[in-house]
Amino acid sequence: MKKIRLGEFEEVVMLTVGVLYNEAYGVSIKKEIETRLSRKVSVGALQSALKRLEQKGYLQSRAGDTSQERAGRPKLYFEITAYGKRVLEYTRSTRNELWDAIPKIALDLKLSS
Amino acid sequence: MKKTVPPKFFLRFFRWFCHPSLHVYIEGDLLELYQERVEKAGKGKADWRFAIDVLLLFRPSIIKPLEGYHRLNHYGMFKHYFKVCWRNLVQNKTYSLLNISGLAIGMTCSILILLWVQHESSYDKFHTSADKIYRLTCDVRDFKTAVSPAGMAEGLQEEIPEIIASTRLSQPMKTLFEVNDQKFEEQQVFFADSNFLEMFSFKLLKGNAKTALARPDGLLITASIAKKYFGDEDALGKTIKVDNEEIFTVTGILAAIPANSHLQFNILLPMIRAAQTERDLIDKSWENFGYYSYLQVIENSISTPEAQTFLEQKIDQIWASHVTTFEVNFQLQPLTDIHLHSDLQIDVPGHGNAQYVSSFSLIALVILLVACINFMNLATARYSRRAKEVGLRKVVGAYRSQLIGQFLSESSIISFLSLLIAIGIIYLVLPVFNDISGKELSLELLEGKPLIGLISIALITGLLSGSYPALLLSGFKPILVLKGKMRLANSNLLFRNSLVVVQFSLSLLLLIGTAVVYNQLNFIKNKNLGFKQENLLYIPITGDLFSKREALKTALQQHSATSNFSIISELPTNLSSGSVNVGWEGKDPDAQVVFPHISVDENFEEVFKIELISGRGFSRDLQTDANNYMVNEKAVEIMGMNVNDAVGQYFKNDDTEGVIIGIVKDFNYKPLQYAIEPMLMRWNRGGGNLVVRTPSGNTEEAITILEKIHQNLNPAYPFTYHFLDKDLENQYQGEQQMGMLFNIFAILALFISCLGLYGLSAFMSEQRTKEIGIRKVLGANIFGLVNLLSKDFFRLTVIAFLLAAPLSWYLMNEWLQSFAYHTTLSWWVFALAGMIILFITLLTVSSQVLKTVFMNPVDSLKSE
Repeated sequence: MKKIRLGEFEEVVMLTVGVLYNEAYGVSIKKEIETRLSRKVSVGALQSALKRLEQKGYLQSRAGDTSQERAGRPKLYFEITAYGKRVLEYTRSTRNELWDAIPKIALDLKLSS
Repeated sequence: MKKTVPPKFFLRFFRWFCHPSLHVYIEGDLLELYQERVEKAGKGKADWRFAIDVLLLFRPSIIKPLEGYHRLNHYGMFKHYFKVCWRNLVQNKTYSLLNISGLAIGMTCSILILLWVQHESSYDKFHTSADKIYRLTCDVRDFKTAVSPAGMAEGLQEEIPEIIASTRLSQPMKTLFEVNDQKFEEQQVFFADSNFLEMFSFKLLKGNAKTALARPDGLLITASIAKKYFGDEDALGKTIKVDNEEIFTVTGILAAIPANSHLQFNILLPMIRAAQTERDLIDKSWENFGYYSYLQVIENSISTPEAQTFLEQKIDQIWASHVTTFEVNFQLQPLTDIHLHSDLQIDVPGHGNAQYVSSFSLIALVILLVACINFMNLATARYSRRAKEVGLRKVVGAYRSQLIGQFLSESSIISFLSLLIAIGIIYLVLPVFNDISGKELSLELLEGKPLIGLISIALITGLLSGSYPALLLSGFKPILVLKGKMRLANSNLLFRNSLVVVQFSLSLLLLIGTAVVYNQLNFIKNKNLGFKQENLLYIPITGDLFSKREALKTALQQHSATSNFSIISELPTNLSSGSVNVGWEGKDPDAQVVFPHISVDENFEEVFKIELISGRGFSRDLQTDANNYMVNEKAVEIMGMNVNDAVGQYFKNDDTEGVIIGIVKDFNYKPLQYAIEPMLMRWNRGGGNLVVRTPSGNTEEAITILEKIHQNLNPAYPFTYHFLDKDLENQYQGEQQMGMLFNIFAILALFISCLGLYGLSAFMSEQRTKEIGIRKVLGANIFGLVNLLSKDFFRLTVIAFLLAAPLSWYLMNEWLQSFAYHTTLSWWVFALAGMIILFITLLTVSSQVLKTVFMNPVDSLKSE
């Protein structure tokens, strides 16, 4: 796997899309992140991240049904692609490798202090 | 349930900017959130949050791209041209290198020359009233001079209403200055009228321009002189001792004199001080020509040549009403013409030459043209390879104008690339160029004018060099080209060949020019001046030295190294005094002849080794010799006498009557641009210079002895000595510099032509690789093949030579005519230049030809 650059926010968005599985669209993703991570997410930041991830091929989208409270506007649902899944796994494994590589002593000191 | 709606304005704004593919979905999200917030926090807060969300959505990834009628330029097309151009450059590295380096070198030369030309023609334009100031110059027969009588400036201003101001300047002097026991002899010291700074816009850093020269003991110094004498102290109001006795106060400090001023001075002394002792100034003389007079006229009063002639005639008349003994024609020389258009005698030093400026401008053009031709040649040769591309473009619908645009933009890209390289080179070589040309030029890229100049040079070069290939290529018939039926390589052969001929003719022209200039400079160096210039050492007679001359002579005679000496009024390098007031038996009363004169002593002929044809030299023992004269051959001829009977004839100069005692062979006492004029030698009653002929090899010793004697007799003055032959050489410094530059540019032009020839021969040989292979297989020998491939180029060189030789003969003859003494154009110069060009052509072409010829036919024929 070459050249994978996944920003922190992008990673959070992708993972959330995974969490929500079939129900991941703009508002639900936003709410999920806000409740789980207790941080504010603007529509603009989220949408541009989603668009970017879709362009990179990590996510794919499909138009959903319309509903009353959206004044007849359809939802755009997102799901992780196979490639996206591999990217997530790769990111995770590199993080783990880094964690494992930290000498015990350094962490202990950090933790005890 | 009543629907609440979000703020209309923001919704509309969102719909306007949002990317259409995202629009409905995001709008849905926004509305969903809005409804929720209305329920939770009320309409006000929801509206507010909605607005913020919309504004935060206004970011590049969400905004829709420009499209349809939003596209206002052909950016895409240009991008495409650029890409194609770049790929072509990278694909043919050798050709790109030849092209770009040729253009870059050409541009470097042209820009350097243009910088120089611009500097030369900017002289004196910085004065606010530059276009209204004229210098009064005059001629008495063939003797043209920049000086005029002391009383004229003021007198003319009184009588001619058009003249509103006048100011005078003395001739430059060397003067001794002293501050706190620091003594320096300063050059370029002038006396100036008190209104000097009102007429000329030299910047005064400190002091009052109106009063600085109004008191007899005030003087103006430049900032660098102030620093030299006073360091960082404020020089204003300090005193300086001049010539060991007079005390002056610094009344003003001038900013550095601009390099493009024809007047270059270090120190200005007040004219009213000189007026206390100088006879000419006291009498307001109209007869003795010794001062530079500048006149300022009313705006537009000299707008036509007729008006100027009218005014000049008026001046002649006014002068004639003051002086009746001889005739003079006066001219008004525009201030801005002085630097380039002066060939006057007794002028301030350091003039330029309009001829050089125009010939160098021409050279700049020629070099750029040669570089452009290179480009065209290589391009037309190469572009046959791009014929298919053109054909295809036409098939898919390209207009001819679009193709022309493509090729022109391609050549412009290349020329701008070259410009960048050229600018880099200029920054590197400018110090060297300044060194050779003796100027201080700089390339100020950040200023508007030079930048526009550079860009237009690049643009013109690009368009010019791209024009022919563009027209040629865009005219291809797509069907023929795509079918491969067009024999492109030969279709424009004639044009290419004539370009090569033009290129080589121009290079030859420059080469022959260089050779002739070099010859002439050599001629000047080795010309027999009529006296021996080697081993002549001189020291100016200053201070007490003249009053102690008897002691000086005795001291000098005691040493063999210095015993051969003479005291003369002026050096025969550039004699600046002349007299019209001469008379002899049988002189035509209307005849007017200027006799340059020099005052000499009894050792003159001996020291200078000037040949005495008839009569004798001056003698110290004969009292009457003080009133007698020696003349040169030319004078004898002018007076209508002959060498044998002239000795003993009556002769008078001013009011001193005497006889001619001796005749010397003509010798040059002015730079060689001037022919020898009748000359008069008088008995030296004043100082001047002590000239010593040292026995060869004893120069060091002589200098030590002279220094000791000087120290004893004239301790107040610093000891300085000069060599006459060095001075003579320096007189031709301007010519030497120009010769050097000419040389460099000629070589560069030749080099650029060779780059082109190299590329062309490489291309031709490459095209004929298969042909050569077949010929070899069929048994052609190497010699025949080399002959086959290179004879065309030889023919072109010969044609170029036939064109260039007569043209350069004509041009160089013109140049030589500006010297009164010059070499003749000898045939071998042309022969040599021709041989050199032929040799260089051979060298350039052969490298490629031989490569092709020695190629194994198996390799060249195996493919296909």
